[in-house]
Amino acid sequence: MNNENELKKKIKEVFFEVFQNLSEGDFSWDKEQKDYENWDSFAQLNLITFTEAKFDITLSLDESIEIKSANDLFKCATSHLS
Amino acid sequence: MNVINFLENCVEKHPTKLFIIDNEWSITFQELYDKVQKFSSSIEFLNKKEVISLVSENTISFIIAYLGIINAGKIAHLIPQEISQKNLLNQLKSADSEAIICPQTTKENLRNYSSIKIPIVSFNEIQYKNEKLISSKINELAYLIYTSGTTSDPKGVAISHEMTEFTTKNIVNVLGYSNSDIDILPLPLHHSFGLGCFHTSLMVGSTLVLLKNANNLEHILESVKKYSATTLAAIPATLTKFLNFDRRILEETFSNIRLIITNSTSIPKDTVQNFKEILKNGNLATYYGLTEASRSTFMIFEKTIGKEESVGKPAPGIKINIFDQQKKNSEIDEIWIKGMNVIKKYWNNNEADENIVEGWLKTGDRGFIDKDNYLFLKGRIDDIINIGGEKVVPQEIEQVIKEIPGIDDVVAFGIKHEIFDQTIKVNVVKSKDSEIDKSKILSHCMKNLERFKIPSKIEFVKSLPKTEYGKVKRFILK
Repeated sequence: MNNENELKKKIKEVFFEVFQNLSEGDFSWDKEQKDYENWDSFAQLNLITFTEAKFDITLSLDESIEIKSANDLFKCATSHLS
Repeated sequence: MNVINFLENCVEKHPTKLFIIDNEWSITFQELYDKVQKFSSSIEFLNKKEVISLVSENTISFIIAYLGIINAGKIAHLIPQEISQKNLLNQLKSADSEAIICPQTTKENLRNYSSIKIPIVSFNEIQYKNEKLISSKINELAYLIYTSGTTSDPKGVAISHEMTEFTTKNIVNVLGYSNSDIDILPLPLHHSFGLGCFHTSLMVGSTLVLLKNANNLEHILESVKKYSATTLAAIPATLTKFLNFDRRILEETFSNIRLIITNSTSIPKDTVQNFKEILKNGNLATYYGLTEASRSTFMIFEKTIGKEESVGKPAPGIKINIFDQQKKNSEIDEIWIKGMNVIKKYWNNNEADENIVEGWLKTGDRGFIDKDNYLFLKGRIDDIINIGGEKVVPQEIEQVIKEIPGIDDVVAFGIKHEIFDQTIKVNVVKSKDSEIDKSKILSHCMKNLERFKIPSKIEFVKSLPKTEYGKVKRFILK
């Protein structure tokens, strides 16, 4: 549980790093890419890069493309760390 | 006028004047002339080919051999002592050299290279003949240098006497060299920067103090003081390192200096500003050029306000344009140079010759010219990273990352990406005991760069691959 909370905290940090104008109230684990104003292909790349750096993992291109929400990123990172 | 004529003029005007001082001895113009003549007559047995290779550190023996080879009607192929075996063998093959002339210690090292099939002759083994050489027809070409290869494999660049005279006259006229100068030269003579400084001293008849090691900063300062030097040649990194010395020592040491000349790697603004203040009686100057187009611009900082990041205006008789690949004018693009300092062709290299179009040399450097005709460098054309159509200059990324405490060095370059075509990778050298991690670097980039400029990969490395002149060899990393 503690690990999961720690992991979620770090994923959230990644989102706040990439979307610098994002406020606490705007963040949701299920909020989708289409609902973000500036989640374009570069932001997608930044999310992957930050996640890889934070957890010292490497995501494949297929995995990267599938990420459409904070929850997707959390699940993807979890699968690499378990 | 050829390079030997430079020497003959000095012998005629001031034969007994001290010309060169090195670590071991010193020599007058007349003594040098006599030794050059004897050297030339002593290598008459090397009469089959046009090129003779010369490997040596900065010594008077190097200069005797260099001028002696030219005086014998040959082309002097100049090779750095620290050259790799692979590069040496490639150069010897490409140059089609007849022999290697070098110090005895170098000869012993070269003997280990079984692939070298041409004679290796040490300075000691050249038996000076007593009789003077009657007359040799001087070759149209003076020397051959292989470029240091920051962007590709080294290319042979042969420089004619005509080009050398043109460039040296420009140096003398723009920077005001005269026979009353005492010049300190800690730069290697096998490189265009150092060799150009030597030609300058030889043309005006000044006194040249040759130093072997540009990294021995104390020795450079001691020499400046000991010989009451008036000029110093140094690369920008050396000048920046000088700033770690006590300011009063620097001001006192450089009080007699009228000129410090540096070269076209970009100079930190801080370094320029500090040297403007340190040089109470002199100027800091830089130039932009390539071995293929030496000293194409000049910049004297003291006389110019607000152009600290420029490499100056085109030298007399030289045209510089910013063109795209179709040779159409462009605001910021590739720097093209035309003039008598530009080679007509590379040495036995048809592929490289494609970079010379109707007398214009495509430099591979990127830049722009401002309304006052000052040239500014903006990286290398080949280094531009294309991220999904967005063009990124790697130096911009490097500058931002260098601002982070705990980072000694960084290089940014493009790597293949299936979606974006390219993304940015940075190799980072941490400072000793630095605790910086990848997330901190990315956070800093996020705050200071547009999103498409954020590196997608970061690797911590112990050092960056660099040329002997401190330029990063990006092509190795790509």
